[in-house]
Amino acid sequence: MTHKDLRPSDLGKSQEQLIHLDNLMPLSFPYDQPDMEPAFPEVKPEWKEKYCTSLDGCVALDTLQRPQTEAEEKELVQKFLRGMEKVFSDANKGVWQPLQLAYDYCAKCDTCSDACHIYKASGDKEVYRPIFRAEAFRKLYKSHITGGSKLYKRFVGADMDINWETVAQLGELAYRCNLCRRCAQVCPLGLDNSLFAKEIRKVFSQEMGIAPTPLHEKGTMLQLKTGSTTGIGKAAFLDMVEFLEEDIEDRIGRKIKIPIDKEGADILLIHNAGEFVAWPENPAAFAILFEEAGIDWTLSSSMIGYDSVNYGIWYDDVQARKIIEQQMQAARDLGVKRIVIGECGHAHKAAGLVADRMLPAEKKIPVESWIPIMWDLVRTGRLKFDPSKNNFPVTLHDPCNIVRQMGIVQPQREILRVIAPQFREMTPSGVDNYCCGGGSGFAIMHSANFEHFRNKVSSRVKFDQILRAFSDTITDRSVPKYVCAPCSNCKGSMRDIFKYYKATDKFNLRYGGLVELMVNALASLDQPYLEFLEG
Amino acid sequence: MLLGLSVYLAVILFIGLSVYQFVKYARMPLHARMELYPVPRERGRHTYGGSYMEEPEWWRKPHQISRSSELIDMLKEMLFIKKLFSSHRSLWWKSYSFHLGLYLLILWAILLIIGALAELSGIPVSPSVSFWTALLYYLTIITGVVGFAIATVGVILLLMRRVFDPVLKKYTTPQEYFNLLLLLAALSTGIAVWIPDLSFAAARQLVAQILTLSVVPDIMLVIHLLLAEVTLIYIPPSKMGHYVGKYFTYHKILWENEPNLAGSPMEDKVKAALANKPATSWGAPHIQNPPAPEA
Ligand code: SF4
Ligand code: SF4
Repeated sequence: MTHKDLRPSDLGKSQEQLIHLDNLMPLSFPYDQPDMEPAFPEVKPEWKEKYCTSLDGCVALDTLQRPQTEAEEKELVQKFLRGMEKVFSDANKGVWQPLQLAYDYCAKCDTCSDACHIYKASGDKEVYRPIFRAEAFRKLYKSHITGGSKLYKRFVGADMDINWETVAQLGELAYRCNLCRRCAQVCPLGLDNSLFAKEIRKVFSQEMGIAPTPLHEKGTMLQLKTGSTTGIGKAAFLDMVEFLEEDIEDRIGRKIKIPIDKEGADILLIHNAGEFVAWPENPAAFAILFEEAGIDWTLSSSMIGYDSVNYGIWYDDVQARKIIEQQMQAARDLGVKRIVIGECGHAHKAAGLVADRMLPAEKKIPVESWIPIMWDLVRTGRLKFDPSKNNFPVTLHDPCNIVRQMGIVQPQREILRVIAPQFREMTPSGVDNYCCGGGSGFAIMHSANFEHFRNKVSSRVKFDQILRAFSDTITDRSVPKYVCAPCSNCKGSMRDIFKYYKATDKFNLRYGGLVELMVNALASLDQPYLEFLEG
Repeated sequence: MLLGLSVYLAVILFIGLSVYQFVKYARMPLHARMELYPVPRERGRHTYGGSYMEEPEWWRKPHQISRSSELIDMLKEMLFIKKLFSSHRSLWWKSYSFHLGLYLLILWAILLIIGALAELSGIPVSPSVSFWTALLYYLTIITGVVGFAIATVGVILLLMRRVFDPVLKKYTTPQEYFNLLLLLAALSTGIAVWIPDLSFAAARQLVAQILTLSVVPDIMLVIHLLLAEVTLIYIPPSKMGHYVGKYFTYHKILWENEPNLAGSPMEDKVKAALANKPATSWGAPHIQNPPAPEA
């Protein structure tokens, strides 16, 4: 059987790997040449033994391990079915109605497949078709939860068996969707296939206690324990801020005191704490810009008040709620007027949208994105620029959470038009953008072969878009080409693909946020801020 | 008599079941925010997919709403199935042929009722009486002929696509074939009944008989009417009743755009939803016995 013939009811039928990640979508020049891309590595026998590699040779659910006894197998299936049942109950209030609609009304028109970058990048592998996952969910539900006579079940397509392998493969499949919701945007009935991926993840986590380690154990659990998914506690955070101040002085010769826990400040700025570790130039750039413009702002050092991330929104609503409550608590304690989320897309969604209906209005501090404020500072001339400092090609990546899901589209473009003379759009862009491939947790997941899935498949369309955006200068190594990706997770994806495809070494492709580019063009600065421009 | 009554019953059930479905979804708990842009209600910004969140301190500013652009987008979706047109043209032709045919047939039925009422009150629907009767006469013919033709062609094309496309075939359940076959049966028996008289005088007469509960049954007519009635009753609870679903997915989910601000109607809804403690709970260990924070 080829991958084209696979049907949803084939899930779990054997332990043989269902599809192989070959014959992927061809990449544009110069990656259309032979040997430009690493081959997909072998699946190690010990992984096969320990995890479920039978979907596509990659493992997202590193905490789902092959059972030793039949009783364990049965238990997993039972728990899964119990969780599936709860998905349509008041335990799942916030999603019940939209999920029920998607469950009831899909016309199987197959419009959504073409919108999905994972499906397209894979070379149209059947298991990644958005409705494959959804239909497997429906069939399992109809076969094992909804009752009915044999004849009725056949009539409605309830023809799917269930065993450990089925559940495991479906669990893996839930982590082959970036939750980018691009498919929902084209659905003529307005249905959202990403809900199935998300709800399966939730069943695994909320009912079965199974979730990828980077999202759960080293993600939300660590954050709720120490204050941050980086494991940075308060003392270490304060050290890092000090380091940041020194770094700013070293780089641009300015002494800046970064305000911490300033009560009653206008703005509480919350960064993805990973920035302090991986890209300190980003929070530093915020400090430089806010100080230059004379903004009344502060960071918080209280529990979770210094880490905007909320991995819960990708796999576990209960965890998401706990984190949201503590972030709001931190803001209320400081008595700030508003929360501003830094360059992190999913944090925008978590604090701006998911939190919106999780708390009563009086328990919330208003949340906004950093982008409109920055545009205001640019527009009103409170920040002054010399765009010639940014005279290299720049393209913009639109983080799905900020753009498609929140409608913040123009301000970042307006800023770029002022500060980057060679700014050009990707195609498509704005609300029709493609995910970076790191969405919904992929950017931080690295278990068995998973990063190969990300780099080769889920980030593939984005990489291709970047190549096309820079097609005029791609082979000219002397020209740096900058992908402006104003989101931590998206930057993580860029970092990984540029390394994987050796794009920085070979073609001088660079990435970074928007604020770094802004600081680089500040008229008041006499040396470049972006490291790759230094000599 | 009975046949006439069954038509009334089918129409009442169609409306009643549609309302029932509507109420079923409407009574589900308040869902989380799930907008997708462009949201047509965003005045001035909807063209590129922007939102009120592009403004600093958006909560202090009045939310600029354009009901007209929402209405325009809604009508485009209802009348032309715009989404499908822009994202899946090859299917749009088939689907639109069917849907437009259906709209025309609804119009045809209304025109028949008007015509029947006119004739019952002694005004013959003929092209030679007055401008209005002529208009009614010709419009009935056009809507009926075109409606039956393109609706039937549409259903056949949709069915063929499902049968011959190797991808769709895998995802189509017997019920989904049945839905299309039922429509095809209702339409084709209709064609068989009406084709001998394309002026639809007989159809108007039948409607008059239904209105006065005095239908004179003939076997083909009975089959057609029963099939049409079964279809009417079957549509709302099946996925063909997606006119109900679409109201919620578009207006209540993708285009909702209502932040939970103090003093807003949404605030009351959120409060009520939060006060409602769930009866079911999740079983994972970290939820049943959450660990305490360190700091
Ligand atoms: S586009 Fe919508 S209706 Fe069509 S197959 Fe996809 S989810 Fe179903
Ligand atoms: S949400 Fe995105 S990744 Fe997931 S199925 Fe839809 S388009 Fe594909």
